[in-house]
Amino acid sequence: MLKQLNYDNLLQLLETISTDYALQVPTLLADGTRLLANYGSGELSLTGPPLQRKPTSAFFPQTELLLTIDVEGQVHLPQPEKPVALFGLDRTDLAALTFLDRFFCAPPADDIYQRKRDRALIISLTGSAGPERSFLPLTEDNCDIEMSAVNGQYLALGHSELGQGFLDGFADGDPQQLEDLRRESAQQVSPAELLQQASRLLSEERVPDRFWKEIADKCILCSGCNLACPTCSCFGVQDRQSGHGTERSRVWDSCQLDAFMREASGHNPLGSEQLRTRRRIHHKLVADVERWGELGCVACGRCDRACPVGIGMLAVAEEIVRRFN
Amino acid sequence: MSQPSQTETSIYSPRPCRLLSVNKLTPQDKLFRLQLRDGSELQHQPGQFIQLSIPGLTDAPLSVASSPTRNGYFELGVRKAGILTSALHRLQPGEQVGIRGPFGRPFQLDDLRGKQLLLIAGGCGLAPLRSLIQYCQDRRDEFATVQIFYGARSPQDMLFQQDLSAWQTGGSFNCRYTVDKKPVDSCFDGETGLITNLLNDLQIDAANSCAVIVGPPTMYRPVISALRRLGLNSEKQIMVSLERQMRCGVGKCGHCTIEHLYCCQDGPIFWLEEVEHLRGAL
Ligand SMILES: Cc1cc2nc3c(=O)[nH]c(=O)nc-3n(C[C@H](O)[C@H](O)[C@H](O)COP(=O)(O)OP(=O)(O)OC[C@H]3O[C@@H](n4cnc5c(N)ncnc54)[C@H](O)[C@@H]3O)c2cc1C
Ligand code: SF4
Ligand code: SF4
Ligand code: FES
Repeated sequence: MLKQLNYDNLLQLLETISTDYALQVPTLLADGTRLLANYGSGELSLTGPPLQRKPTSAFFPQTELLLTIDVEGQVHLPQPEKPVALFGLDRTDLAALTFLDRFFCAPPADDIYQRKRDRALIISLTGSAGPERSFLPLTEDNCDIEMSAVNGQYLALGHSELGQGFLDGFADGDPQQLEDLRRESAQQVSPAELLQQASRLLSEERVPDRFWKEIADKCILCSGCNLACPTCSCFGVQDRQSGHGTERSRVWDSCQLDAFMREASGHNPLGSEQLRTRRRIHHKLVADVERWGELGCVACGRCDRACPVGIGMLAVAEEIVRRFN
Repeated sequence: MSQPSQTETSIYSPRPCRLLSVNKLTPQDKLFRLQLRDGSELQHQPGQFIQLSIPGLTDAPLSVASSPTRNGYFELGVRKAGILTSALHRLQPGEQVGIRGPFGRPFQLDDLRGKQLLLIAGGCGLAPLRSLIQYCQDRRDEFATVQIFYGARSPQDMLFQQDLSAWQTGGSFNCRYTVDKKPVDSCFDGETGLITNLLNDLQIDAANSCAVIVGPPTMYRPVISALRRLGLNSEKQIMVSLERQMRCGVGKCGHCTIEHLYCCQDGPIFWLEEVEHLRGAL
């Protein structure tokens, strides 16, 4: 189902969605920051730089109540909240969501993630929606509606039944425009090629330990790379006593921190910054490929933007390819 | 996307358990006997672990130390190591804890059946191995000879001392125990020295033998070398148990990874050849 929306139609669609969903949209803050924020909390921003806060945090937030255990030992799951709708995801955002969906839903499925995810509505935003209206390639993947900015209008492709339901009643779109978008998307070069090369060099053991030492020596251990990354999924579990019993929650964790694998005996399989830095890169470029058949990095660039010392994933991958290819 | 899914329980839900008894094993280890509050069996397999929690304290992984062939209860041998394990040591029979699991890949019994077994434990590693030893005891005719090797720091650090003597005198097993150091006044009649000393002079039918190793990280490499010298060089001849920090037990929290493997799901029991080439595994 292909529809054509003008700006007012788009606003009308978002308004409709917001009645039943907790809707987040690309929002421009007064200081110029652009991020996914609650609908209506600021100025809607339909073009601009990538959204730094990861969209996957809607389903796997920084801290989250998993359940409560009452004094009888009975377990209570949190009341379901309003389902989430996200508008404004680009190709890498959706690739990250696909990665995380597969990770959390692999048996045994993480029911806490799945419950939120199953009820969600996802709308991408591509076409002339990048910085200064630059072109963002189509996603055509894992979303309910693909929304593409073309000549000041929005071409809307309904992928799921849920998405199509929301598009009912709008004017039909021009299939030729969609074809043009597809052609232009296919011509885009992706940094994934660089990652594939780095991945190959790593799995061929071409990267010596002294390289990791050199990179690790720069790291200030802020954990920003992990916390910004939309495919990072590590967490700690915490039980805390409250008035109603025990609250069990989870909190993001970072493999760049010393305590990540330290055991009560003192044994620590990731006991140096060198080993942890290798792990951060190796896990996504080699281990994930081995386990899931796919890179664990979607080349979104968030960790490179977050890292204060310039050793994010893309920077390190580039260095690996430059020096060891 | 799809329809809302409503589940009553979660993979993070603990099940209430009652402590039936608590026995001191060493100054820092206790044996806890537990029962699920609803009376059902744990239905674990030897080598699996559970996540145990006490109200207000985050759960920790503990191997089941008893065999599923013994009904009505399960046991945990626990060293006082930190917050949760210290709190557990303070509990009395009748009190309640929560457990999740059983989790993890167990000892591969199908591959051990009919084989001559070398069961090798160091320190705390006897807790998970005890579950397999009890299983062998209860299903003795499923296995050929069973030899048990146990090393501890000193006689007073030896876990399950009653079991150790019963296994030695019971006639079902061939047992050899060693301690790193023996105080002069000790009545311990086992050997002194590293556990590898017990393996060097063994006469075995290597082709029909399987070894299982559970112990502290430093034990693995020397014991594996000793086994290789005895001729255990083929696939599916050496099983190891690898412990990592575990927060979830269900393959999600990421703390237990060794390269692409998740110890809580793909392990804790592995064939040696599955892990020996992985960086940091042993
Ligand atoms: C598969 C497996 C089986 C185990 N079986 C036994 C057993 O039968 N008997 C026994 O005494 N001990 C066993 N351990 C070790 C035991 O889990 C730790 O001693 C325990 O987690 C310490 O928790 P704590 O809260 O007392 O210590 P703290 O240092 O206060 O630990 C805080 C948290 O760190 C994590 N952690 C710390 N050390 C370890 C560790 N070694 N392994 C995993 N997570 C850790 C836990 O999540 C724990 O909640 C096992 C570990 C694993 C991985
Ligand atoms: S570029 Fe960085 S933040 Fe983005 S997916 Fe890759 S590792 Fe994660
Ligand atoms: S963002 Fe950079 S400095 Fe901070 S922990 Fe990650 S690699 Fe280290
Ligand atoms: S313990 Fe959480 S992933 Fe293994």
